[in-house]
Amino acid sequence: MEIRDRILVVEDDRRICNFFRNVLEANHYEVILAHTGTEAFSMVTSRCPDLMLLDLGLPDMDGMRILKGVREWSMMPVIVVSARTHEKDKVEALDMGADDYITKPFGTSELLARIRTAIRHTRTGLIGQDGTQTGVFVSGGLTIDYDKHRVFVDGKDAGLTQNEYKIVSLLGKYAGKVMTYDAIIREIWGPNMKNDNRILRVNMANIRRKLEQNPAEPQYIFTEIGVGYRMAEAD
Amino acid sequence: MPANMKTVMKNSLVTVIILGVVTVFCFVLQHVNGSDTHAALLFVLAVHFISRLTDGYVYGIAASMIAVAGVNYVFTFPYFEFNFSITGYPLMFVTMLAVACSVSALTTQIKKQEHLRLEAETEKMRGNLLRAVSHDIRTPLTSIMGSASGLIDNFDVLPDNQKLELLKDIREEAQWLIQIVENLLSITRISSHAAAKIDKQEELAEEIISEAVLKFRKRFPGIEVMVSVPDEVVMVPMDGILIEQVLVNLMENSVLHGKSTTKITVRAWVEDDKIFFCVEDDGEGIRKDVLPIMFDGRLLPEKGDGSDSKRNMGIGLSVCMSIVRAHEGNMSAENITSQGARVRFWLPLKKGEGHGD
Repeated sequence: MEIRDRILVVEDDRRICNFFRNVLEANHYEVILAHTGTEAFSMVTSRCPDLMLLDLGLPDMDGMRILKGVREWSMMPVIVVSARTHEKDKVEALDMGADDYITKPFGTSELLARIRTAIRHTRTGLIGQDGTQTGVFVSGGLTIDYDKHRVFVDGKDAGLTQNEYKIVSLLGKYAGKVMTYDAIIREIWGPNMKNDNRILRVNMANIRRKLEQNPAEPQYIFTEIGVGYRMAEAD
Repeated sequence: MPANMKTVMKNSLVTVIILGVVTVFCFVLQHVNGSDTHAALLFVLAVHFISRLTDGYVYGIAASMIAVAGVNYVFTFPYFEFNFSITGYPLMFVTMLAVACSVSALTTQIKKQEHLRLEAETEKMRGNLLRAVSHDIRTPLTSIMGSASGLIDNFDVLPDNQKLELLKDIREEAQWLIQIVENLLSITRISSHAAAKIDKQEELAEEIISEAVLKFRKRFPGIEVMVSVPDEVVMVPMDGILIEQVLVNLMENSVLHGKSTTKITVRAWVEDDKIFFCVEDDGEGIRKDVLPIMFDGRLLPEKGDGSDSKRNMGIGLSVCMSIVRAHEGNMSAENITSQGARVRFWLPLKKGEGHGD
């Protein structure tokens, strides 16, 4: 028997619910629906979904509250679906513990890719939780060798500096997922780094010049303007 | 209230400086030729300028009181002593007050008129935009409505390939509507009254271009895009989302209005503390009658050249212009002599911050 991943869709609009249900069921997911925040809370506890698609604009409570409530006791992947277009809202949701976000309007392929990534990350995250990352990450011509602390492009050593390596390996660890500027800075330079992402941007520009053929047409590291960076998915 | 405090500080400073300058000037004159008859006159002038350069009546009136007292105390005999029995003293006081009040009233009125004019201008722009939007969304809505009802009504009789075609049309039209909404949202990010019109952050030019190109490629996979950016790291103070929108609009216009466009080149370069962005295509170029007015956001007279005339330059270009202007940059367009159109815009780079290490 096929075991399907169960997705909880928290969304109040009937047509959008319809759309989610049709697309997700056609792609072999089990879908449960919640139309209000209260319903969402009870379903999270009673039905144990594998992933939550959370709309931030709900009739009875702010979606951020649900996110916060769930994060207090569960590491279940949450993808925020939002009509809010300002980057600040996205950053806030990500900092609050959302795994990813998707902005309305979006296409089905984008939605499915985000869901796959989010589910995979929780799975692999559980295995390697205790120690540092090991093994290799491969995406196209890019190889991150976590054991040797080296990054290769098309088989050649990219010659990254230590900080550059740290940034690339961090993004590789969360490949497919957007990492906010602040999260990266905190991870690389520590929590006391002043809130200035200029140093990160300059590092990233240098990394791109070493990894990408044309820095203006990147294949491996993408920018989410005003939010952060996202590494291409592993092969 | 900090903004309020700031204007109070500014106005007080103006008042103090002008009074100070005039006082010093009077002292100098007094020492040079020993006369004090011009002091009152000079202070009237000072009151005039203070009323002109500050907001409201308070500072002018305060200045005239200080001036009357000051002239009496310092510059009229007996020096450094008050003497209220000088003939003409009440007249002088009244004169200064009158000057202060009338000039302040005039200044206030001018400012009010300026404000009204600005408001009328934004109102006009908003009206133009609304007209353009309603005009632009009607066509895709009609097509979506028609295709969807066509599908529902004839679901059993239509062959699959026709159904698919109608569905593709619906998706394409929805895509077009999304673009319009994105443009409208961009406008809401530019505030018309605040001093800082946009929220500027330092962004890497190449990141903005690459994201715009990525978005464009998703929509038009058949068009070849060439990108070139400067080798050095260029940080540009801008609202990245808005500039991305400008680039996306320009690239889409190249396809939608260039008609025969197959290739687009996006370039960026640095010149004299400015960063230039340029979008070139190999399409039909820009119509001569459109070229001078294309950034105005005016509705163009329809020229019956097929369905595309119903989708005029739309709001896209005027939105681009508003965004670039809000960044204190500028924009221009021309036809390339061989073939195609070239639109470029520049943004200021803050001095000394333009280049990374």
